[in-house]
Amino acid sequence: MTEHQQSRAMDRIKAAATVRRGLITTAIGLVGLAATIVLVQLYTPTEARQGLAQKIFYLHAPTAWSTLLAFSLCGLAGGLYLWLRDPRLDVFAESSAEVGLVFAAMMLSTGPLWGKPIWGTFWQWEPRLTLTLLEVFLFIGYRALRGAIVDPSERARYSAIVGLLGLALVPFVHLSVYLFRTIHPQPIVLKPSAPSLPWEMLRTLFFSLAVFTVLYLGFVTARYGLGLLRQSRSTEHAD
Amino acid sequence: MQTSVPANGGYMVAAYVIVSLIVLLYAWSLARRIHRELRDS
Repeated sequence: MTEHQQSRAMDRIKAAATVRRGLITTAIGLVGLAATIVLVQLYTPTEARQGLAQKIFYLHAPTAWSTLLAFSLCGLAGGLYLWLRDPRLDVFAESSAEVGLVFAAMMLSTGPLWGKPIWGTFWQWEPRLTLTLLEVFLFIGYRALRGAIVDPSERARYSAIVGLLGLALVPFVHLSVYLFRTIHPQPIVLKPSAPSLPWEMLRTLFFSLAVFTVLYLGFVTARYGLGLLRQSRSTEHAD
Repeated sequence: MQTSVPANGGYMVAAYVIVSLIVLLYAWSLARRIHRELRDS
C-alpha cells in the first residue's frame, strides 16, 4: 500500500468514526424527544387562554432555534471556506444546510398548526413569517445551486456566498418582531429582560431546546461524516 | 367569572405527530445513506 492509499484509508476510518459519533448523538436526541413528549403531556401545565394548542410552543420554538442555528453555522462555515479553502468546511456547510431544512420543515408545520386556533388563520404575510419563509427559500436555492454545479471548488465558492447571505438574514428574522409591527409573539428567552414564562413551562422549554440542539448536533455530525466518506470516495476515483 | 379552556387538542396532537415523523424519517434516511456508502466503499 502506498503512502497516498494509506492516507485515504485513514481518512475513511476517521469519517466512519464521525458517522458513529453522529448516530450515537442522534439516538440520544431521539430518546430526548420521547422524554420531551412525556414532559409536555404529563408534567407541564396547560395554558388557560390558549388551551392544549399552546403546547405546540415546546416544539415550535426549539425547531425554529435549531433551524436558525443550522443556517447560521452553514453561513459561517461557508465564510471560513472562502478564507481557508478547506474542503471539509464546505462539507460541513452542505450538511448544516440540509439538516437546517429538515428543522425548517418542522418549524413551518408547527407554526401554522399553532396559529390556526390562536390567530384564526394558518398563515399571515407579516414580517416574521415572511422573512422566515424567505430564509428557507434561500436555503432551498442553496441546495439547488449545489446540485447544478459540477466543479467542486466552484460549487463550494458559490454556495458559500449564498450561505453567507442566509447568515446575514438570521438577525433580521430574530429581530423582525421588534423592528416591525407583527402579530408573531416576541421572544420568550432570547431577549434583554428576564424570561416571561412560569418556571414549569420554562423548564420544559429549556429541556426541549436542549433536545433539539442535541438532535441538530447528531444529525449534522452524521451527515458531515457521510459527506467526508463521499468526498474520500470521489477523490479515490479521481486518482 | 371562570372561562373554559378552548378545545383545540387536535392541533397539538397533529404537531407532535408531524414533528416525530419528520425526525424519524430523516434519521432513517440518513442511516440508510450511510449504510449504502459504507457498503459500496
